[in-house]
Amino acid sequence: MMLNMLAILLQAGSYAAGQPVSADNAPILSHMSEALHQSVDRVLSLLIAVLPGILAFFVALAIFSLIGVVISALLRRILTLFRFDDRMARNRGNVEWTPSSSPTGLAARVSFWACVLLGLTIGVAAFDASYATGAPLPISLLPYFTHAVGAILLLIAGNLIARFLARSVLIGAVNAQLQYARVLSLGVKWLVLVLTAAMVLDHLQVGGDIVELAFGILFGGIVLALALAIGLGSRDLVSRSLESHVERNPAAHNTPSPSQSETIRHF
Amino acid sequence: MATADSISDVLETATQPAASLLVMLAAMPQDQFESALANLVATFSAGSLLIAAQNEYAADRFPDLRIIAAPSTGAAWTATAADFVNAFQFAEREGVRAILMLGPGAGSLSAAALRELANAVLNAAVDLAMPRYALPAHAGLINAAILYPLTRALFATRVRFPQAVDLGLSLRMAEQLAASAQRFTAANQADALIWPVNEAIAAGFTVGEYDVGPRELPQPAEPDVNAMLSLVTGSLFADIEAKAATWQRPRRLPPPRIPVADAPLADGTAEVARMVESFRFAYSNLLEIWSLVLPPNSLLGLKRLSATSTAEFRMPEMLWARIVFDFLVAYRLRTINRGHLLGALIPLYLAWVAGHINTTAAGTGSERHIETVAAAFEADKPYMVSRWRWPDRFNS
Repeated sequence: MMLNMLAILLQAGSYAAGQPVSADNAPILSHMSEALHQSVDRVLSLLIAVLPGILAFFVALAIFSLIGVVISALLRRILTLFRFDDRMARNRGNVEWTPSSSPTGLAARVSFWACVLLGLTIGVAAFDASYATGAPLPISLLPYFTHAVGAILLLIAGNLIARFLARSVLIGAVNAQLQYARVLSLGVKWLVLVLTAAMVLDHLQVGGDIVELAFGILFGGIVLALALAIGLGSRDLVSRSLESHVERNPAAHNTPSPSQSETIRHF
Repeated sequence: MATADSISDVLETATQPAASLLVMLAAMPQDQFESALANLVATFSAGSLLIAAQNEYAADRFPDLRIIAAPSTGAAWTATAADFVNAFQFAEREGVRAILMLGPGAGSLSAAALRELANAVLNAAVDLAMPRYALPAHAGLINAAILYPLTRALFATRVRFPQAVDLGLSLRMAEQLAASAQRFTAANQADALIWPVNEAIAAGFTVGEYDVGPRELPQPAEPDVNAMLSLVTGSLFADIEAKAATWQRPRRLPPPRIPVADAPLADGTAEVARMVESFRFAYSNLLEIWSLVLPPNSLLGLKRLSATSTAEFRMPEMLWARIVFDFLVAYRLRTINRGHLLGALIPLYLAWVAGHINTTAAGTGSERHIETVAAAFEADKPYMVSRWRWPDRFNS
C-alpha cells in the first residue's frame, strides 16, 4: 500500500510541476516508478524475511540470559550452603579469596556466561536459518558485519598485547639501564599497533595491496629504526654482556656473580 | 649463643645412640661436600647420624658414616619444595627423630653451630631451628630490605634470615613443610621456594633462632639480581597472600633473644652513585607504572628522593615500608601484571640499598639500621592490614 502511494505521489508530483508531458517521458517515468517499486519491494521483503530471525536471536539471548541468572543464583546458594570456598581453601593451603574471585563466585559467573554464550549460539543459528531460507536476494552488509566484529576483537587483542609488550620492554630496559628505554618501548608498541591495524584492514578487506605495501614499509622502517637505536646505543652493554658470558666459569655457580661487587651482596 | 645449653650437655646429647638425626645435604661442589662431611664427623657421633646426599662420594673416605643417596633436586642456592618433600620421606622411612638440612658451603659452619641447631630440634622442644648468620656489613641485602622486615612485621617473629640455607626441623615440622611443598611438586613446580618460618607460625609451632656465627653463604646460579629479586620477592608475596588469615590476627612480637651485633664497616660507597643514578633514571621512566601502585604520598616522597644529592641520599624507613606494603597489595589485587610489578620494584630496592650504604657510611651500624627499618614495617602494619581488607581506601 505504501509503495502504491509512493508511486502515485511521484506521478502526481511530476504532473504538478506543470512540465509538458510528452509521449517519450511517460515510459521513462513508469520505468522509474517500476524500478523504485521493485527495489523497495525487495528491501521490505528481505526485512520481513530477516525480522523473525532477528527476533529469534534476541528472544533466545534473553531467555538463556534469564536461565543463566537463575542457574548462577542457585549454584551460588548451593555452594555457599556446602561451604565450597572453605573446602577449597583447606585443600589449597588456607588461601584467602576476595569476594569477587572466590571459587563460588567464579563458578556462578562461569555458569551465567556459559548460558549467555549458549543463547548467543542458538540465536545466531536461528537467525542464520531464517536468513538463508527467507532472503530472496543477497545483501552484502550482514556478512560484512561479522567481519567487523572479528576486526574489533582483533583491534582489542592487538591493543592489549601492544600495551603489555611496551610495559615489559620499558621495565626490562630501565632495569638494564638502557638510556633509550622509552623509545624502545614506544617502538615495540607501535610495531604491534601497526601490525594490528594491517590485520584489521586485511580482515575487513579494505585497501587490498596498498595496505600490504604500506604495512611492509612501516614495519620495516620501525624495525630498522629500532635496530639502529640498539646497535648504536648499546655497544658497550653488548660487549660487556659478551665478555661476562665468555668469562663465566661453568663450575662457579656457587661463587659470587660477576654482576655483584666485592663489597655488596644482594643474597 | 642464644640457647643456654652448655657444650658438654650438647655433646652428651649428640652422642646418644637414640638421637637419630637425618642430615640432608644439598648438592654442592665436591670439595665443599667433603668439608661438610668432615665437619659432621667431627661434631656428632657417626652412629647417631644418617646422611642423605645428592653428591657422589667415596665410601672409604668416611667409613663410619651411613650415607644414602638423595635424588638430585638441582637446588644450587637454597632448599626448594622437592628438598622438603624428600626430607620428610627419608625421615619417615628411616624413623629418625629430627632433620638437619644443610645448604652448600655447610663446611664453613662451626661445630657448635651444628650442635645447637641439631639439639634444638632433638631436645629443646623447638619445631623449627633457624640460624642467625654473622654476615659482612653489605651482604644479604634483599633479606635485610624486604624478607626480614616483612616477615617480622606480618608474622611477629624476629627470625633474621627467613630463607636460611640451614635448618633444623622436628618431624612434625618436616611433615608440615612437606605437605606444603607437595602442592608445588604436584603442580610441577619442584623448584619453588618454601617459607619455613611462615609455615611454622601458621601451624602454631615453636620457632627458635640460634646464633651460628659467620658462614659462607652460597650465591644463586642466576647472576642477574633483577631476576632473583623478582623470584624471591614474588615467592614471599605469594606465601603472604596464601596466609592472609594468619597474619591479619594481632600478635605480639617476642622480645629479642640475640643482641644486635653490627658487622665491621665495609665500604660500598663506590656503588652508591650508580644505584642512585639508576633510581633517578627509573623515576623519569617508570613513574606512570609506579603511580598505578603507589598512593600520592609515596610518589611525593619518591619525587623528593630523586632530587636529593648522592651524598645525602637516604630512603626514609616509613616510605620504604609503605612502598613494600603497597606493592604487596598490588600483587594481591593484580593491579598490573605480576612480572611487571616485581620488575618495577627493582629500582626502588636499589634506592633503598644506596640509602642503606650511605646510612652505614655515616656511622650508623648496619644491623641497627636494619632493625630500624624492621621497626618501621612493624609500626605500619595497621596500614597494611587496612589496605589488604579495603584496598579502595587508597589515600588512607
